[in-house]
Amino acid sequence: MSRSQDTTSLKRKREDAQQTKTPESVLLSLIKSKGDMGIWKADMKRETNLPEPVVNKALKILQGRNLIKEVVNIKSKGRKHYMAMEFQPSNEVTGGSWYTDGKLDTNYIDVLKESCLRIIKKLKVATTEGISEFITRSRITKNDCTRQQIEEILNSLVLDNEIIEVKSTGLGEYHSIPIGTECYRAAGGMGLGQGVRIGAMASFPCGVCPRLNQCTPDGIISPKTCVYYTTWLDF
Amino acid sequence: MVSQHGVKLAVYLVSSYFGDLVAKVCECLLRKGTLPLRSIIQYTELHERQVRNCLLVLIQHNCVQAFAIEQQGGFGEAPKVITQYMVLFDNIIHHMRFPKFLEIVLEEFGKECQEILEGLLQHGRLSLNQILDRHKGTSSDSEGNCPAKDAVEVCFSRLVHARYVERCPVHEPFLAPPQDETGAKKRGSKSAKVTEELTTEQRALLAAAPMEASRFLVASYADTDDNEQESEENLPSPAVGEKRKQIDSKLDTEVGTKKRKKEILWRANFEEFLRHLRNKACIANVRARFDDGVAIVLNAILEATRCSETKVKIENSVPLLVNSIFEEVIKSEDGRTMTLEHVRAALVELGCDLPSISIDETYSIDLKHIIELAQNEEVESIVLKRYGMEAYRMFRLLSKAGRLLETDKIADTVFVEKKETAKILFMLWKDDYLHLEKIVATGSRQAHFLLWKVNKQTLWGHVLDEMYHAALNLRIRTALEQEQGKEILQLPKDKLVGDLEKRHSRLRKARILLESCLMKLDDAIMLFHDF
Ligand code: SF4
Repeated sequence: MSRSQDTTSLKRKREDAQQTKTPESVLLSLIKSKGDMGIWKADMKRETNLPEPVVNKALKILQGRNLIKEVVNIKSKGRKHYMAMEFQPSNEVTGGSWYTDGKLDTNYIDVLKESCLRIIKKLKVATTEGISEFITRSRITKNDCTRQQIEEILNSLVLDNEIIEVKSTGLGEYHSIPIGTECYRAAGGMGLGQGVRIGAMASFPCGVCPRLNQCTPDGIISPKTCVYYTTWLDF
Repeated sequence: MVSQHGVKLAVYLVSSYFGDLVAKVCECLLRKGTLPLRSIIQYTELHERQVRNCLLVLIQHNCVQAFAIEQQGGFGEAPKVITQYMVLFDNIIHHMRFPKFLEIVLEEFGKECQEILEGLLQHGRLSLNQILDRHKGTSSDSEGNCPAKDAVEVCFSRLVHARYVERCPVHEPFLAPPQDETGAKKRGSKSAKVTEELTTEQRALLAAAPMEASRFLVASYADTDDNEQESEENLPSPAVGEKRKQIDSKLDTEVGTKKRKKEILWRANFEEFLRHLRNKACIANVRARFDDGVAIVLNAILEATRCSETKVKIENSVPLLVNSIFEEVIKSEDGRTMTLEHVRAALVELGCDLPSISIDETYSIDLKHIIELAQNEEVESIVLKRYGMEAYRMFRLLSKAGRLLETDKIADTVFVEKKETAKILFMLWKDDYLHLEKIVATGSRQAHFLLWKVNKQTLWGHVLDEMYHAALNLRIRTALEQEQGKEILQLPKDKLVGDLEKRHSRLRKARILLESCLMKLDDAIMLFHDF
């Protein structure tokens, strides 16, 4: 069979179906077909060729019957997206496990980060499992967090330079952890968790100056007349 | 290639040490590269005499190296030997580190040795006699002349022995033309192969360098013929040697007396100081990251292998037996309480793998890795201060990943909203901190992806140039503050009352702060340029 014949026959079938189906059932099957991704209202209009008022009415009816729900899509928050009741929005739609109602749950993240850091400081060195267990046992969070989530939190603490990744040597502080296991320690050997050290460039005005590019010895912007220095040296 | 602001800083330094004329000649060489006298005169539009004098100053202070090469003559003419002058950028920048070098010698060998080094740094090159003379002039307790002289000689030998002082390179080595088969054969086929890959400048430096065997050899100072011998070793044919001597003697009438020419000249060996500073930086870095124990072990390893190192830029420390490490550790006061177990644990923290069988248990530390971590830290701290905590996290993520990452992936990992993430990444990209690649995906829901990466090679160069620029600014401002406060700073103590006293103490504080920032910045410059 040739391709063109195939599509024409398909089209005919669809047209036949549309004649017998109500707008609600057409929309519902379309929404269902999108699974855990959901679909934007404008896309429904385009795909079904139904006029706006008809779509609106049908959506209301479907929502009233608890067959579909409205979801926030992280990529386009202003656009109304719909999803069939039986699906849970995918990570791509919600933004992932750290998003609630399309917003990054920074409070939750901060609480977890702080707890992890405190645990590591207390234990000196700890593995992901160790920290996970500690959190579950001490019920720091209302809902359980997965190992994956803890790992993400630890990863971000590493990026903050609050903790560092090390491999267990099996000696001293590491005696309870098998040699070679990845574990975490608070950063900074002397003062624990001292965070970021200030480098050479960051300790005087020019090093971090947005005008450095335009600054010349005898130009309009010049170290000879620079006010950043004047305030910096004003003890 | 020296960066834009590297040149500017070098010129500024030369001008503040040796005046504007010398700086002009120096700038000409920095910008145009190695040149013969004629071209320097042409570019700088100075008189021949002035240029010659400036070059002599620069050579005296180890900022320029002369060398002679043979050039094809015109049609029907014999080839000519001409003298070229190359500028030594690194040595110019080293001038701002002199206080650090002096500090090192003071700490290790005391005041007397420091004074000798000070003389060498001030004058660039000195013979032992000149050093002794200078000491006679400066030393306050000149009761018995002879013992003092001996003491100075002992100090001098200690400095040479520690490699902080070395013999000066040959004044003007002759470079045989590379296509000259006989010349190449004489050096042996292996070294000929090496020379092929080197630039003319590198060949000149090699030819000028004193031989390793005599570089740190303190001869009795009756033996003054050394320079002559060395120059002959470097000259393939007597005919050329004749010419060279002519040129030499022309310069020498200006340099000084014949007698001086025959004496061995000495200078500070910057390389050794830099190695010392590199070790210090590595030790400080591991101390901050781990603890004192690890720092002690690293220090011990670097101390024990000090004499076997040959370059500043090395990737790994020289391999050392665990017993030798342990011996060295317990030699130091802080290491006395450490056990072998302790030492092994520290070695593991330094990134070594413990061998499964302990025969010939040797260790070598990955110094390059330590240096890289220190470099990362410096750049990250700039990012933090300029662009904030979230940018800092993103930068660290990309720097650690070492490959392209997509915007959404970055946002997820650093816990920042996606739109905000893109905004910050663009800002970093605009200032050359990130590399960006756009990928248009066909057929997928998302039309295009933005991929980001830290390109360390280009970024490090950019950061170094900014450091040179910042160092120049810092110096200019320091000079200005000093100039403005000159009168107050020179006032006698009893006049400093009320408002004057306040201003005086402010000026002093400002100066200390400015200078300490400059020294710290210089550490960072070395980290990116020399280590
Ligand atoms: S001198 Fe002032 S304007 Fe110029 S780079 Fe430094 S801080 Fe910025």
